[in-house]
Amino acid sequence: MVTIIQQRNKCIGCNYCVELAPERWRMSKKDGKSVLLGAVDKKGFWNVKVNEDELEANKRAAEACPVNIIQVREH
Amino acid sequence: MRDSKIELMSPAGNFEALMAAIQGGADSVYFGVEQLNMRARATMNFTIDDLEEIARICGEQDVRTYLTLNTIIYDHDLSLMKVIVDRVKEAGITAIIAADQAVISYAFTKGVEVHISTQSNITNIETVRFFSHFADVMVLSRELSLLQVKKITDAIEREQIKGPSGNLIEIELFGHGALCVAVSGKCYMSLHTHNASANRGACIQNCRRQYKVIDIEEGYELEIDNEFIMSPKDLCTIDFLDQVIDSGVKVLKIEGRGKGADYVKTVTQCYREAIDSCLDKTYSKEKVANWMERLTEVYNRGFWSGYYLGQKLGEWTSQPGSVATKKKVFLGRGSHYYSKLGVAEFTMETQKLKAGDHILITGPTTGVVETVIEEMHVNDDGKKEVAVKGDKFTIKLDTQIRPSDKLYKIVDSEAVAQ
Ligand code: SF4
Repeated sequence: MVTIIQQRNKCIGCNYCVELAPERWRMSKKDGKSVLLGAVDKKGFWNVKVNEDELEANKRAAEACPVNIIQVREH
Repeated sequence: MRDSKIELMSPAGNFEALMAAIQGGADSVYFGVEQLNMRARATMNFTIDDLEEIARICGEQDVRTYLTLNTIIYDHDLSLMKVIVDRVKEAGITAIIAADQAVISYAFTKGVEVHISTQSNITNIETVRFFSHFADVMVLSRELSLLQVKKITDAIEREQIKGPSGNLIEIELFGHGALCVAVSGKCYMSLHTHNASANRGACIQNCRRQYKVIDIEEGYELEIDNEFIMSPKDLCTIDFLDQVIDSGVKVLKIEGRGKGADYVKTVTQCYREAIDSCLDKTYSKEKVANWMERLTEVYNRGFWSGYYLGQKLGEWTSQPGSVATKKKVFLGRGSHYYSKLGVAEFTMETQKLKAGDHILITGPTTGVVETVIEEMHVNDDGKKEVAVKGDKFTIKLDTQIRPSDKLYKIVDSEAVAQ
């Protein structure tokens, strides 16, 4: 299993996560920040458990995020 | 010299800096909210809910307020951008500073005053004419010389180029602060190396580092002698401010939304005094020397005059960080103010403090207060010379401070290094 976490309030809406892992991320037209699809909010840390096949793309997204608010953890 | 008034615009990254700008004598302040501004990375940005409070504080002091909304804008940013512009109007913020046509156009249709940001890089009179359909104030590109600036302001007057308000277009100029090595606000360096787009306000300022040159054929590496070849010194115009005013600019802007309240207050104060002395004709070499000394006390990377006087090349700094001659050392926080007695109480969290020390207090409502300690009462022991970690101490202070205001000691930079 893989857990992806996003500290959403610090997102600057640059769109990189969507470019690199389009399956898992969308830009919100409402507030211009990215949405981690399927995630639940735990005190500002949005997290979701996904399958191994999403690992690579989301790791790249985490690396690209200019404000370092994406974490990808393998279990 | 033209007898026109010139507006002094200061940066406000948070409430402390906002108060400091007002205390320093700014005519106007600029600031960003949320992620659509050039300091999107800064942890201390205002939020959209602060707009009313900013408008209220500044309204009481007769200080104009400008909100920067000057990043590049993607489709998904459009609704947030519109929400921000609408709230600017509701809250009574004076104007927005914009670069993207979507923002300019939306604000214009909503009747919100627009200023054209330096990110639009205006360098000629035809572009001024083009933007005059939407905006009353425009920042010229930092790469122009004062001679070029004057040609533009003269043409505005001669050709009576007016903005939507019906008044002549006003030209704004950067007067002080950090400079980009690239065309202002249009740089890919941070994007290439760290995926952090400067055009989205996420610049990591890696041009401010030292670099090597490598000979690809043979692999020889050369360090460029003591120079940070991509990092210009900070812009400073105080020593030729009379010429700046003569060039016909109406707004002088100080850079530094990421900098501390003490920086904002000192720089604003110096430029306030300088502008006033230009206007009442008391501007002199002695005064310039005094302002220069004060400006070097706060954050700076060495000063140069930018491109305004016609130099072709940048002057590179030889320092990795600030060369400020004074530094502030955190000591502790305010705990109480006895207004009847005019006495402030602090709690020391670190270091020590002696009578005769120069202190600085900052806070969101307090702004910046500076004083020299004459006498202290420490804990319940009465008058004492020294306060150390864990102590509570009181001093006489005319200005009210608030609990949790931060207390610093001002020391010479060398003293910190030792
Ligand atoms: S990469 Fe980071 S900052 Fe950019 S949109 Fe995604 S989460 Fe936000």
